[in-house]
Parts: sequence; C-alpha cells; structure tokens
Amino acid sequence: MRLSISILPRRLTVVLVLAAALASPGCKRDQKVQVQPTVEEEDVPRLASAVPMNNAKLEPQLVSGFYSIENGSWRWTAKQFSVLLRSPATAAQRGAVLSFEFSVPDPVIRKLHAVTLKASVEGKPLTPETYTKSGPYTFKRDIPASSIAGESVRIDFALDKAMPPAGGDRRELGVVASSVALSPK
Amino acid sequence: MSRPRSPVGAAAYWLSPPLVCLALHWHDFHAWFRADDFAWLGLTNGISSWRALFSALFLPLAEGTIRPWSERAFFMAGYSLFGLDALPYRIVIFATQFASLIPMAWIGRRLTGSAAAGWLATLFWMANSSTSIPLGWASAYNQVQCGLFLLAAFALFLRYLETGRRGYWIAQWVVFVLGFGALELMIVYPAVAAAYALLCAPRYFRRALAMAPVSVAYFLIHRWAAPPIASGDYAMHFSPASLLGTLFQYWTWSVGPVYLRLSYGTPAWLLEALIALVSIALAAFAVNRWRAGHRAAAFCLAWFVLVIAPVLPLRDHVTEYYPYLPVVGLCWLGSWAVVNAWRGKLALKSAGCAAAAAYLFMVAPQMRASSGWNYRLTVRARNLVEGLAGAHQLHPGQQLVLDGVDSDLFWHVIRDHVSYLLGMQHLYITPESAAHIEVHRDIGDVGEFLVSGGVLAENLADGGALVYDVRNPRLRNITMLYASQPHSRDLPLRIDLSDPLIAKLLSPDWYPIEVDHRWMPARASVTMSGPPKSGMALYLNGSVTSQQLAAGPVTLKVAVEGVDLGIVSIGANDFECRFSLPDSLVGKPQVIVDLSVSRIYHPPGDCRELGTSFGLMAIR
Repeated sequence: MRLSISILPRRLTVVLVLAAALASPGCKRDQKVQVQPTVEEEDVPRLASAVPMNNAKLEPQLVSGFYSIENGSWRWTAKQFSVLLRSPATAAQRGAVLSFEFSVPDPVIRKLHAVTLKASVEGKPLTPETYTKSGPYTFKRDIPASSIAGESVRIDFALDKAMPPAGGDRRELGVVASSVALSPK
Repeated sequence: MSRPRSPVGAAAYWLSPPLVCLALHWHDFHAWFRADDFAWLGLTNGISSWRALFSALFLPLAEGTIRPWSERAFFMAGYSLFGLDALPYRIVIFATQFASLIPMAWIGRRLTGSAAAGWLATLFWMANSSTSIPLGWASAYNQVQCGLFLLAAFALFLRYLETGRRGYWIAQWVVFVLGFGALELMIVYPAVAAAYALLCAPRYFRRALAMAPVSVAYFLIHRWAAPPIASGDYAMHFSPASLLGTLFQYWTWSVGPVYLRLSYGTPAWLLEALIALVSIALAAFAVNRWRAGHRAAAFCLAWFVLVIAPVLPLRDHVTEYYPYLPVVGLCWLGSWAVVNAWRGKLALKSAGCAAAAAYLFMVAPQMRASSGWNYRLTVRARNLVEGLAGAHQLHPGQQLVLDGVDSDLFWHVIRDHVSYLLGMQHLYITPESAAHIEVHRDIGDVGEFLVSGGVLAENLADGGALVYDVRNPRLRNITMLYASQPHSRDLPLRIDLSDPLIAKLLSPDWYPIEVDHRWMPARASVTMSGPPKSGMALYLNGSVTSQQLAAGPVTLKVAVEGVDLGIVSIGANDFECRFSLPDSLVGKPQVIVDLSVSRIYHPPGDCRELGTSFGLMAIR
C-alpha cells in the first residue's frame, strides 16, 4: 500500500524509533541546509589590468596555477599558471607592456639550480628568461598590438621546473608571485 | 585486580577517556559531511511507501552492504530531524565512542588484572591513527557502532564467565545478533569469544562456539544477497602470500601510522625501526606472559588477527580505518606491557616507556594530521554546499556551472550528487575544472558533470546557465567574466538526453525531458562532436514500449552526416547498441546524428507519437 507523503512521518514516528527518518518527505527542502550568501557579479569590480596577488576580489582573473594568498601579500604559483588581464585602452593600436613581479625563493634555487620562465599571450610566445639566483625579479615584455584583439588578454606562464609536492604539502611549487599587470606603451 | 578506590578516583577513571578522546579528536567532533555521506543522506528522498522504507533500510547497497542501524537509520533519521546540521550526527558518533570506551577499559582490566592497563588501553586506542576517520567521517560510523556491539558483547561474555548468570549470556546473544545491523564485521564475534574461551576458560569453548552457526547463516545470507565481486578493488584474493602481505600491512598501520606517514620530516628508516621496536616489545611481552601462564596476552593478539581477518582478502582495498577495531587487542596488550614494565626495575621501566613513547610518537601526529585533513575537507564541502544552496535560492530557474573545482571538491562533494539534497537535478563543472580533476574510473565519471565549451557558451549567452567560482569559501558569480574569456567551443562527445543544457543540440522533434530520458517521434536528430580519432563508435542507450514490440521487433536506423551507419533490430524494451564510425567523420567539430524508428506508439490520452526514448548517447 502506498502512503501519502503527508501522513507518512506521523505513522512512522509512532511505529519506529527511527521514525523521523521518514519525516523529510513532508519537510521543506530549504529547512535541511543552511544557506550561505554568494558574491554576485554586481559586487565584483570589472576586469582589471593589474592584479596584485593580495587582492582577493580579483582572484577570478587568476585563471589557473595560483595558490592561496600567503602572508596577505603573495601567492605560490604552480609550474604552469595563467592570468586574465584587461587590455589597456590604447593596446589594440600601440601594444602594451607585461610586468610580472615575483621572487625566486632560495629553496627553489637550491633544489632546482635554475628555472626558466616562459610566457605566451593568447598563444603567442614571448622571449623566455632563466633565473639562477634567488631574489625578486620583474619579468617585463613588450606585447605587440597584433596580439591584443579583444577587451581581455590571457597570459599563460610556464616554468621549465617546479618543486614537487613534499612532506605534507601536496602542492607543486614554482615561484612566488606578487603582481601581474598590463600597462599602456 | 587493582581498581580505583575513591568515588572521585572512579569518576576520573571512567570520565577521563571520553575527555581525552574529545580533546584528541576535537577536529573530528567539528567535522561536517563529505563524499558518501551525501548519498546516504539522500536515501530519505526516495521514500514514499512502507516497501520503499523496507528497501532503504534492509536491501544491500554499496558493494552489497546491509547496515540498517549504522548507515540507513543513522542517516535517514538524522537527515529527517536535523538536515545537514552535522552537530547531532557528531554527538551520536562520539556518544557511541564514549560508550565503547567503558567496556574497552573494563575488559582491559579483566584481561590484564590492572585497572591502570585498562585505562591506558583506551588512551592508546584514541591516539591510534586509524581512529580519526571513523570519528570524523559520518559514513564510517558503522565502525564505531560495531565497536560498541563487539566490545559490549564480549564484556557480557566475560561477565557470564565470572558470574555464571544466564542473563549475561542472553544479553550477550542479543547484542551479538543486533551487531549485524551495524557492520558485517560482527561475524567474527563467535571466533573472538571462542578464542578467549580456548585460551582462558576452556570449559566454555563449546558454548562459545554455539554462536558460530549464526555467523555462518549471516555469511550465507549475505553472500546470497550480495555475491562477491570478481574484479576491481573489491575482488577477494585468498592466496597465503596475499593474505599475509595484507596482514603485515595492517600490522604496521596499527603499531605505526596509517599509510606509514611520519610527521616532523622523520626519515623512513627511523619509522621502520620504531615499528620494529614496538612490534618486538609486544611480541616479547606476549611470550613472557605465555610462559608465566597468562594466556590473555595471546588472546589480545588473537583479537587483532580475528577482527582484521574479514578484510584481509581485500588486497586492493586496504583502507586506513580498517585497523580501528582490530587494534583494540594490541592496545590491551601494549598497555598491559607498559604497566608491567612500570612495576619492574629501572631498565624495564625505561624500556616500557620508550616503547610507549615510540608508539605515540608515530601514531598521534598522524591521527591529528588525518583529523585535520578530514576537517578541512568537510569545511570546504560545507562552504560549497551551503553556497550552492544560496545560489540556487537566488537563481532557481538557471543551471549552475562550477569553475575552479579541484579533485578534492569533485570526489568528496560533487560526485555523490549533493545537488539532489538541494532540490537541483543537475550540477555542472566547466571544462577547465574537469581538466584538473584526477581520473578515478573505478569510482566515478567526471564526464557525467562536465558541460562542453560549446554548450556552455550557448547557455551563457541566453541566460540558461550561471558560472560560479568555488575557489574561495564564498561562492562567486563569475558568469560575465567567464563569458568574456576565450574558451573552447567544443561540442560534447557524450549527450545525456535529460540534461536541460543540451536542448539546443536536439532537433525540434524531441519531446520534453522525463526524469532521465527523452522520447522522440519516428524521426529526430542530435548534433554532437565528431570522433576525435579513428576507431571510435557511437553508443546509444534507449528503450521502446511493449506496445511497439507486440507486433515484433522494432528497427532503428542511424545515419551520421548522411552516412548510413546501419539498422538494429530491437526486440526488448531496453536496448544498448553500438555503431562504428567511419574515418571520414574524424576531427569534424560537429556531426548530425539522424535517428529513425520503424514503428511508433500513440498512448491513449496522449497526443504524442512515441518512437524511441534515449537516455545517453556517446562517442567513445
């Protein structure tokens, strides 16, 4: 015999210890889970040309390969990482300048001896650079106007080596990023 | 036998183990839900009759398990009363564990003749690294509940041996039989009782064995209801080498940390040395006790072997929490050894303390790390689920697509269809997310949740879908941002006909979605991606009505891009067919699949003409 959903909980409450087990068909779904507010798009700033790593609101522009903010200022990258930046107003005519500020930590150099950073803009490669000493660097490259077609530009970075996961840290670690930006020429 | 003398001492004796348990497993007490929990919580949704209730409580599920008290009733009652508020579930789990600590200490006292050893055994148990998952993951509550049944039954058995009172014997039987509702592991109980009787109370051996037919009967019924799985992780391997290898592995995970992970960057050789030290100490003490005529030490080892025995054939499914109950025997033995050593000379005292310290040094940090890992994962699960609830509440008519999903979120939250608990039939992940998720074909298919770039772009353009970034605790709507980025426009190789997002890939002939399928009339077509390489085939899962088959088999004709792939004869309601795809289609960004069926059916009172219904179409 099929029981109607509305009477089922009461019957089972009487008959079984796990009674309330069946109370849910009669309950409203929204009572079962706490609702957490979301961040909707009207709260989000428009696409930025410069992304400091400590700005959590711009995190959606970090397409892949960036880990959480550490010490409120920087992020470890993975071996490959990508970012989306707004094109400067005159970029389609004059091109733009890409600036990636980062540090090569001492443990990276000690373990890997040298790392080479490559980058490409919308799939077009930029001149790579190799770092053999630890310390802060700025990877700066001119980007031709022909590489900037739309309102946004995707920059893909790739290191030739990265620190493999070790100990309790399951992350693959590349370099320590501080900011990335596109500025007008 | 020593025992606490004052009321305060007695209270401290019995209350301190639960308090230590709570302190050590604080993260577990605050954990939320993850993975299988969502599937168990969802069980309640399908119940609308007594028959459905019976099925949900007692029919084999998930690898043939039947655990009405510890899984079905636990989750169903919990969800009905408290929804996704985890605290009541955790209170039940910890209350069960606290209750288990009482017979654990009491039995330990009886076996060793030392109240201190019984007390210390509970601490050794709670520090063991195999305990974090049973206490921190609701789906492993079956272990905790079975522990209570197992320890309570054995305590009642000992009480019966001490007093000869029939009431204890009957109570033990009741607890033993009820224990099968917690976990199949209860099957070992007659062997445990018989082993104790054989070693310490021989005249009760045959009496203890009298319980064995119940275990044999349960085994046969369980085997009939859930035949053994011949392949995959749950296949059983009975070769002596395999069984001994698995036993050795669980031994090392019991006297040392599970997965043999050691914190503090300790070298592997030290871990091996410490495991050897603790093992030798236990073995030496057991031999010493045996020579002194204390056979209970051998029983402690027998407890470990007998309770781990049922999972030894599962060579390819070694699990971190399987030693949780077997290790109880080693905790009794170890605490007995430490207390005994403490009463000896300085050298012996030092050796006992060193072995105990080595054990705690290995297991406690791993237990804490495992608890922390589980807790953090469940916090992420909670943020995602509650954020999804918020997004669904704001946008009830739109499909939600998640970006930034990693392997942990996918395999511990999304895979178990958590969306059903929120009243959402579908939940999707972006192609970028899918590319970063580890593949585990044995437990699930990422493709089931993947929306292809082409389909997503269409649905973003017309507002049918929204993209949420799940990388942060608060879900972030990134629909416009996502749409502004360049993405692949690939069409899918797999089409779920019940997926509302793929509607634009269907010709207008198709009828609306019906739960998990769509009907088409005599002819219809579907657009999908061409095969990326040669040698692939088109697979169709569908069904026809009995009325269509009444006049003989129905034929289904399939053509792709105008190329006839063949005709199949359908003689049963449900069918699956395969059509090889010609190389000329390889690499085509899109192909049109034309389907036509030879006989249709007009249901009474329904204006539709039903040709064939399809659930899934895939090129693979």
